Amino acid sequence: MRLGLVIDLDTCVGCHACATACKEWNASSPVGGPLSDYEPFGPKPSGVWFNRVRHYEVGEYPENKTINFPMSCMHCVDADCVTVCPTGASYKRDDGIVLVDQDKCMGCNLCAWACPYGARELDAATGTMKKCTLCVDRINDELLPPEERQPACVLACPTHARFFGDFDDPESEVSRLTAERGGFGLLPELAYAPVNQYLPPRELKAVIGPDEVKALLERGLASLASPLIRR
Amino acid sequence: MKPSLSIIFFTVSSGAGLGLLALLALADLFDHALPSAALLQGIALALVLVLAGLASSVLHLAKPANAWRAFARFRSSWLSREAVFSACLVPLALAYGALAWTDEAGPVSIVAALCAMVLSWAVLFSTAMIYASLKPIRQWYGWWTPINYLLLGHWSGAVMLLGLARVHATHERSFGWLAGALGVAALIAKIGHSRAIVAGAPDALTLERAIGVNEGVRPPGMTVARARLFDVGHSHGTFLTDEFGFILARRHALALRIAALTAGFVVPEAWIVSGAAGAPLAWLAGIACVGGLLAERWLFFAEAQHTVRLYHGAPRT
Amino acid sequence: MTRTIAFDKRSRQQTHFTTCYMCACRCGIKVTIESNKVRFIQGNLNHPVNKGVLCAKGSAGIMKQYSAAKLKKPLMRRPGSERGAADFVEIEWDDALDIVAARLAKIRSTNPTQLAFFTGRDQMQALSGLWAQQFGTPNWAAHGGFCSVNMAVAGLYTIGYSFWEFGAPDWDHAKYFLLWGVAEDHSSNPIKIGLEKLKRRGAKFVSINPVRTGYSAIADEWLPIRPGTDGLLALAIVHVLLKRGLIDWEFLIRYTNAPWLVVQTPGIAGDGLFARDGQDNPLVWDQQAQKVVNGLQPEIAPALFATVRLDDGRFARSVFALATERYLDDRYSPEHVAAECGVAAETITRIAHEMAHVAFNQAVELPIRWTDMHGRTHDKVVGRPVAMYAMRGISAHSNGFHTCRALHLIQMLLGALDGPGNFRARAPYPRRIPMRSLPENDPAVIFAPDTPLKRMPNGNPTRPEDLVIDKNGKPMRIDKAYSWEAPLSPHGLMHMVITNAANGDPYPIDTLLLFMANMAWNSTMNTAEVREMLVRKDEHGEYAIPFLVVVDAFHSETVNFADLVLPDTTYLERYDAISLLDRPISEPDAAGDAIRHPVLELDRDVRPWQDVLVELASRLKFPAFTAADGSPKFSDYKDFIVNYEKFPGIGFLAGWRGVDGKSSLRGAPNPKQWEKYIENQSFFSYRWPDNMRYYKFANKDYLEFAEKNALFGTPPAAVIMQMYSEPLQKFRLAGQGLYDGPQPSSATDRERLAKYFDPLPFWYEPLESARISRTEFPLHAITQRPMMMYHSWDSQNAWLRQIISENFLYMNRGTAARLGLADFDWVWVESHHGRLRCQLKTMEGCEANTVWTWNAVGRQAGTAGLNNDASEATAGFLLNHLISELLPHSRGEDRRLTNSDPVTGQAAWFDLRVKVSKCAPGETGIWPRFAAAERLPGDDGRRPATWRYHTVPAS
Repeated sequence: MRLGLVIDLDTCVGCHACATACKEWNASSPVGGPLSDYEPFGPKPSGVWFNRVRHYEVGEYPENKTINFPMSCMHCVDADCVTVCPTGASYKRDDGIVLVDQDKCMGCNLCAWACPYGARELDAATGTMKKCTLCVDRINDELLPPEERQPACVLACPTHARFFGDFDDPESEVSRLTAERGGFGLLPELAYAPVNQYLPPRELKAVIGPDEVKALLERGLASLASPLIRR
Repeated sequence: MKPSLSIIFFTVSSGAGLGLLALLALADLFDHALPSAALLQGIALALVLVLAGLASSVLHLAKPANAWRAFARFRSSWLSREAVFSACLVPLALAYGALAWTDEAGPVSIVAALCAMVLSWAVLFSTAMIYASLKPIRQWYGWWTPINYLLLGHWSGAVMLLGLARVHATHERSFGWLAGALGVAALIAKIGHSRAIVAGAPDALTLERAIGVNEGVRPPGMTVARARLFDVGHSHGTFLTDEFGFILARRHALALRIAALTAGFVVPEAWIVSGAAGAPLAWLAGIACVGGLLAERWLFFAEAQHTVRLYHGAPRT
Repeated sequence: MTRTIAFDKRSRQQTHFTTCYMCACRCGIKVTIESNKVRFIQGNLNHPVNKGVLCAKGSAGIMKQYSAAKLKKPLMRRPGSERGAADFVEIEWDDALDIVAARLAKIRSTNPTQLAFFTGRDQMQALSGLWAQQFGTPNWAAHGGFCSVNMAVAGLYTIGYSFWEFGAPDWDHAKYFLLWGVAEDHSSNPIKIGLEKLKRRGAKFVSINPVRTGYSAIADEWLPIRPGTDGLLALAIVHVLLKRGLIDWEFLIRYTNAPWLVVQTPGIAGDGLFARDGQDNPLVWDQQAQKVVNGLQPEIAPALFATVRLDDGRFARSVFALATERYLDDRYSPEHVAAECGVAAETITRIAHEMAHVAFNQAVELPIRWTDMHGRTHDKVVGRPVAMYAMRGISAHSNGFHTCRALHLIQMLLGALDGPGNFRARAPYPRRIPMRSLPENDPAVIFAPDTPLKRMPNGNPTRPEDLVIDKNGKPMRIDKAYSWEAPLSPHGLMHMVITNAANGDPYPIDTLLLFMANMAWNSTMNTAEVREMLVRKDEHGEYAIPFLVVVDAFHSETVNFADLVLPDTTYLERYDAISLLDRPISEPDAAGDAIRHPVLELDRDVRPWQDVLVELASRLKFPAFTAADGSPKFSDYKDFIVNYEKFPGIGFLAGWRGVDGKSSLRGAPNPKQWEKYIENQSFFSYRWPDNMRYYKFANKDYLEFAEKNALFGTPPAAVIMQMYSEPLQKFRLAGQGLYDGPQPSSATDRERLAKYFDPLPFWYEPLESARISRTEFPLHAITQRPMMMYHSWDSQNAWLRQIISENFLYMNRGTAARLGLADFDWVWVESHHGRLRCQLKTMEGCEANTVWTWNAVGRQAGTAGLNNDASEATAGFLLNHLISELLPHSRGEDRRLTNSDPVTGQAAWFDLRVKVSKCAPGETGIWPRFAAAERLPGDDGRRPATWRYHTVPAS
């Protein structure tokens, strides 16, 4: 089993719904929370977030594009954050989810150094590292209705730019989307085999070709001979 | 990388102590080259350096209460290995020291010396590999890091060993040549490492690769495109910007590099070459050496660029 | 390996369904409560608006609920203290209500216009408008005048519904979609859901916006338009469509007034009005009968191009002939407009061709039988699947009304309205054009003490007689709405209230009651001076605005200026009705309304404002709130909502009516109606049967059904779209001195009417830029709403402010290089009115002549529950300081005019023109800065250094 997410860069409008839904779910989650907020009303508010959305521009004006880029733990196949962890707090489950055991972590930060994607953050109040749990406490909660057994970020996303599923199942939505849309993992050069896949923006083919323009204009011209139309 | 003083001190202090211990054991194995008083003092100094370093490293932990768990993942984690080897080394070094104090010779002390040497190397190597195995940090990843770490540890250890030798007036010339040669080797390795980093820069990861411009994340109809950060998604800092956002001004880097070179190499080498005897100068040389290496290690951290910086807008690492 | 995972203890939790209130989208939410705290807020999968999704604001509702900015108790300005110093004492509700009721009673019994009651981001205008009408003051409006009235009025006077809340694109069938001037706006989650559908189906999404963020980021094509010139682009598209004959002849003839004959008698009264027969029917030239006939009959063949001589000898031309003449003029050719609007001529032409191709060659046909208003049955619905949506980037300009009408013109030409794939109407629209409600304008009624108005304070004027002016032509409303200065202003001009009241122009008032509006900060132009006006004193040392009551749930900058603060609840602590009489949650395919109900107990001494309104109405004995024996009709808001009937059987909530709760839309009050809503996840949806879904404006079944259920007036009649707007022409005639009725005496007003009340849309340069030096102020300055903050509502939110708590001025990188500016430079930004200092950031996706910033991030220190050194106060800034509510004086004008659209009074926020220059070394820091506000009573100013919010009890 290789559970993970597909994130569609063609439809992400950068609204931060996924980031805040994650924050509120994990605030009271027995697995992840609470998540500290530092100086919440002060001059430099910051806090522990598992999911962050950053925004980039590609190309130059006026042929530029804006890309909104959510990032959270990739639940890598070859997760070095698990390899380097000395206490065994960082571990990868059989279903592929990488978790941090809050009872064991000693807060050495090494896993954060090992993670190229910045998925892990130290919670200063607990002295432990925290990260996306793929809402392990939602997807396996049989007291939740089936349609809600999804990560909070996936449920919240207003443009349906996030998908959850098993990449080891070729019929799953995440597998199909990745195959159809050319999904890719980030920084493959580093050989972490990130499970989360990103879908690149779609390229729309032209709406109308030169022949069609010609036909359109001919028709329009013909129609100008004021036709008799009844109310 | 945010230069963490506790880690910097840990690696330099324990590095010197481990280097010293390894060389002491080596010298001991070779020839009982040091009188037992000197050996004892050396082991004591090495232990102080190692223990001070280890204590400092525990300070770096956000939840030290769980530090005892660090032995759990010997099979996969270099930090765990370092912990295990250190845990073996300390009592062994104490035993070795006790043997030195009782001035016992014989097979037991040989075994102790051997173990002390091997374990010192094991700890040194493991510590170095913690950094060298981190793929997201181009400046650290690879064989240059353990090479440098071992050489620097042995160099600083050798300076202290020479100091002991000169104070006890024993084998000054041999230890002088050893230290001098190690210093030169360490310096060459340091230069080699720096040049390798520069040489690797053209192939460094870029923001464009980090967000997948090659995979189609670009304006339609284009095959290449420059990327830049528009907004990082938070108005103030985060754990990531704190830990990985450190930026070193070039003029500071230059100043520190000169300081590292001077204190860490020139001053001790000068002392070595001068042949000067006496404890005060020996202490000075040792302190200068360690001071210079602290600066070097600080630079090692400050100039390291983690790939997460790309996602925060750095054009390349 | 797998270690055990702990789950939420569901047995300790309760879930409730209610409605979000973080913006005006009104998504359905499911709230999980644990230990009497909020555990989780998620979208309701069954809700028609959001279908389970929830944006960042909604998902951060927990931090809204536990914000440090919550007001706790009624406050009174300490006697003897200065207004604005925020020196308050707590008082009891009974005392507060006594004070307000006494003051209002006095006003009502002497001169009701002395009460000005204006509401901000509320969603209860039907109630507050009724309340104002019952009080008897015309001085009521919500905030639409500074928000989106241009879209509403342009739509309602043209197509019978409008962009923004009275319509929605058909995301399921549209094949081409244009988004004009929209950053984050209502209805935001439906737009997000819809955009993904478009992209998935391969529909083309074109965004017309000076900035490429948010929705524009995912557009297939981005047109970086120069602010204020969208009308040029739109009319250039019209030019291409007309020139090439790429129009839907049938749609124009059947559903618009394009064939109607317009009298051509320049210089004589009646010029430009429709030619009508004796029964007031508009006339057309029938091509079959070859004569002039009543244009409303079926089965005639009206000519679109006609020049005729009427029976009375006057000449007349068809609307379409006039329109084509205007828009085929070179002035609107793509080549001509390209430089001005910043979109290349080839692009404009291509876009027009693409739209036409999709409209005509990719029509959608649905096998749905429907009957038109002439009783003819059609066996299918044909959609020309070009859809549009437009909002603030069009609206917030002094030419926004006409620009919006230009967009509707495109829709009419393509036949792309309320069919599959189009921008479609949402109940309670479409309505006749214009709606027949007129604003109260009889001075005898308005000034009559203790008497309700006969009509509502707001309405839809169609001619000069409908204006709310006295016999001398002077405005009778404090905001001067429905005056010669802003005749078609059904949403009022809230942005002028404080200025006018402080100046006693047209008259001084006694009490200003503001609900949920931050008029002392980001919702006002000219912030610093408006704050000064709030505390201005007359020559006797009395405040020019004697009494200021502020109602809000949270501490805002405006709260600090109150004489009396009435604290409201949060959205999780109240009942609300999101009503079909107001701004409901309908979709094109279903009428809908919704409620809120409390999911948390109140933990402080605040009251829902609607309950207070009902209480005051009872105390003041408003007739609609008072039984025959003089006792209150309604015990509280809940009671009012259930039992109040606007017409027989029509109340605020349309679901589960009738004593048995089985009637929809119309029925007797159901005493258990709230319970039924709560049982049904707090919303009600009435799906239109297929035959009623499309072409509602001409759909017999729909219109008759709607009329029966008070969603359309009596009698039901087809809504003919008004390409040519006769009401505008009437006002124009008044300006030209050719009107047989009221005419303005001021030459300034006459000129404005003559110029801007053009019955056909046209483009003119925004008023500000026509009055300042464009070389001195070369850049356009605008704002955008970020997706995770809603106006000034969210700086108080501890999670959302981590995302954004300071703002920068964004500029195109190339432009910055030209000006010698770089990222993080401190710059002066100057307009004709003022200057500010802030930091610059460059970007690619910004039109080269535009600078912009995020809206409302800057706050005054000490407000919104924040520490005094919050970055919102030290590093956030408002563009508002540069915007004057009055236009620069122009030669010949007899007064300074409001910085608004001359037709509707819409605040022209985005007309702002600036110059940007680098600060001298050492000139750093945000400027202007305001002194920190005082802490409210009971607030020691201490805030936690670390906050670890959770609901899981300590185990």
